[in-house]
Amino acid sequence: MTAKTASVIVLAGLIAGSWPVAAHHAFSAEFDADKPVKLTGSVTKLEWTNPHAWIYLDVKDASGKVANWGFELASPNGLMRNGWTRFSLKPGDIVTVEGSRAKNGSTNANAQVVVSSSGQRLFAGSGDAPQP
Amino acid sequence: MRRFTGAAVMIAALSVSVSAQWPRREPPRVPKGADGKVNLVAPAPRAPDGKPDLGGIWEVSARREAPGSAPPGRPPLAVFANIGVNFPEGLPFQPWAAELSRKRVANQRYDNPDALCLPQGPLQYHLDPQPREIIHTPRKTLIVYESNYGLRTIYTDGRSLPKQGEPQPYWHGYSVGRWDGDTFVVESNNFRGVQGGHAADAWLDQMGSPYTDALQLTERFRRVNFGNMEIDVTIDDPKAYTRPFTVRVEHRIVADGWEMTEFICHENQKFLELTGRAPAR
Repeated sequence: MTAKTASVIVLAGLIAGSWPVAAHHAFSAEFDADKPVKLTGSVTKLEWTNPHAWIYLDVKDASGKVANWGFELASPNGLMRNGWTRFSLKPGDIVTVEGSRAKNGSTNANAQVVVSSSGQRLFAGSGDAPQP
Repeated sequence: MRRFTGAAVMIAALSVSVSAQWPRREPPRVPKGADGKVNLVAPAPRAPDGKPDLGGIWEVSARREAPGSAPPGRPPLAVFANIGVNFPEGLPFQPWAAELSRKRVANQRYDNPDALCLPQGPLQYHLDPQPREIIHTPRKTLIVYESNYGLRTIYTDGRSLPKQGEPQPYWHGYSVGRWDGDTFVVESNNFRGVQGGHAADAWLDQMGSPYTDALQLTERFRRVNFGNMEIDVTIDDPKAYTRPFTVRVEHRIVADGWEMTEFICHENQKFLELTGRAPAR
């Protein structure tokens, strides 16, 4: 499946769905809402696991150095009810992810939006947003 | 909580993706309107004994209300993040309970049982975005929560609640149910409370509003119609609150074919790694 085909399927699932996504983690314990990240890279892995699915991207910086980033999504059940499957993203797909970086400074983040290579903004449905 | 909304377009593409998922299977006896859609306001189904049948899969309502806007006689709506959000004066905390809630939030909610894959407090379970299923059997009613695989057993065989402190305290307490007209009344005691000794004990909500082993919980379930359930939950815990208070939980039926799906919370708990509680793998 090409990246474009995958992104179309993901988009269709997201906009047709009506389920809330699972709010699992204490967001602020794990991620820093004041450290937004927006990174583009090539999908290396999709972990279709509980309590959150994760996607991993190889991201190249300005100097050409590649780092592997992990992004937390919603739970597989929450994603499934909104049209995702474990085949929605494939290794090699190019996507841009917007989210909040892990507080521990590692190359991990909570994904809020996944943008396909064709520019479509896809909601990633990651865990609960910062709470009051 | 965010919800996905929007026009259902590109269904053809969606059908490709759902073929690889848990198959959807509509439950039996779903009332439909002339348009073929589920009639959510059809009468509530009844069991052979004439009592309302609460059985089914339920999700928490997305309805919100302004604080203080509940009409007289109707408890304020509770929401997952904060069960006291619709009380203009806040919850009637005892001073130590207010301080514990403040500390739990200030500590980034590290010990929220939801995040640790441990049993959630009774209102967390009622309000979690993940669905729950009510199953009536002749002598007990079960509530299975998809979130963290919680299971509550509500005995309906006529037994009384045990004395406070007689069985050991439990995460889910000890529950008995009876009918009051068309309302299913569940009374529970013997919760672990903050005395349970685990930092994840006794969280009523994501604010860490605590409860103690003195908690007497009363839940009044009323299936208003096919599609809607109202649960009025009374927290009577004089150790933690200066007076009993009641909140309303609203549930909607899940009749579009989604079923309960396994949720093995500890499978890939990166929360523990990213917060330094477990070594990175």
